[in-house]
Amino acid sequence: MFDQITMPRNLILAMAGAIALLYASPGQAQQAAEVQLTYSNSQFQPSEVRAPADRPVVFRVRNLDAKAMEFESKSLRVEKVIAAKSEGVINVRALKPGRYEFYDDFNDKVRGALTVQ
Amino acid sequence: MRAPKLFGRHHTSLPCALASLLCLTGAAHADDASTWLEIETKYIFGFTTGSGIGIEGEKEFTVDTIGRFGKRDGHYAATETKYEYEFTPSQFVQIEFGALGSTHNIGAVTDLDGRNAAGFAGGFAEFRYLAVERTSNNPLSVTLAFEPNVRLIDETTGERVHNYEFETTVNADLEVLKNRLYAGFNLLYEPEVTWTAIDETVREATFGGSAALSLRIVPNVLVGGEVWYLRHYDSPTLSAFTGDAVMLGPTLYVQFTSKMFMTAAWNAQVWGREVGNSLPLNLTEFQRHRARLKFAWEF
Repeated sequence: MFDQITMPRNLILAMAGAIALLYASPGQAQQAAEVQLTYSNSQFQPSEVRAPADRPVVFRVRNLDAKAMEFESKSLRVEKVIAAKSEGVINVRALKPGRYEFYDDFNDKVRGALTVQ
Repeated sequence: MRAPKLFGRHHTSLPCALASLLCLTGAAHADDASTWLEIETKYIFGFTTGSGIGIEGEKEFTVDTIGRFGKRDGHYAATETKYEYEFTPSQFVQIEFGALGSTHNIGAVTDLDGRNAAGFAGGFAEFRYLAVERTSNNPLSVTLAFEPNVRLIDETTGERVHNYEFETTVNADLEVLKNRLYAGFNLLYEPEVTWTAIDETVREATFGGSAALSLRIVPNVLVGGEVWYLRHYDSPTLSAFTGDAVMLGPTLYVQFTSKMFMTAAWNAQVWGREVGNSLPLNLTEFQRHRARLKFAWEF
């Protein structure tokens, strides 16, 4: 009876641990660096931002325009639709030094970049 | 007076292809690639898979058909189509799963029963983990992929079977020129076991690798070529070698919109050998030609 109860529980714990490992990135235990951006008149302000290396990054993007935008980046591997007159929060893993471009996927001429040092 | 022929009828394709590539390269240089958006590399190399895993939260539905054509004699055409759902739950992991459909049109091929059939062929899942990520300071990206497949119809013969395959690949790519030229490399190990309708158990494995180049000629179109070297064994431990082959061919990738693309590739077997058979090419384990056509919709 004991085995019948504990074995599934152990299995569930092992599966939960495996899933947690899958979703975890090495930097998630560290404090995130915050990057604040505004989006107005179809432009990112500022369009060039900086963050420290090897720390997770949190983008807070305030869309001041009257239409939705989609914050997207292939190299950051994130995307988020941000409704008009609202704020979106985008969590990014700890990054290695380099330049990471982002853009509005609804108007891809609107670009910006994050420099990680 | 007719101009002298520089090349015979059967030798014009290579110079034409080289001239076309040079023209495309010239056209590509006329544009400024630094203003282009970065591109997802997973599907730009044809049969060779790039390292891309998509972006977190992205979902995609794809229809991916691979056709295999030509054996030693008779006529042989077989296709397998993946109806695939893929999603990226984190910035390091991509998961895919779906159903398989197959068709077989076989007639007068030695050692294969004639067949003209189509049907549900099984299912698959794929787990991809991004092990090395590209940055502006590091052009190399590497993903490890594991793909278990369960088939109810044999890929080659079209017979009813129970087949379990565990495809393991290393997908690497290199951004040779920023936003312009990419090189892709795959390493493949594919053990499988099959139980046939007459209760035979067949254990085998395919091992090999590929190299590919893909040139972005305009922001939404890439053209290139790839070469595969594949070895077949009658054992999952790679101890009973039965033959090998080299496949070579062009690739094409077209991004129709930011959420929709297609990839196409064609490979011809240009060299091959079978253990115990002196005839050229390996047409027992492989085929004369293979083609791939894939359409994807992101949402």
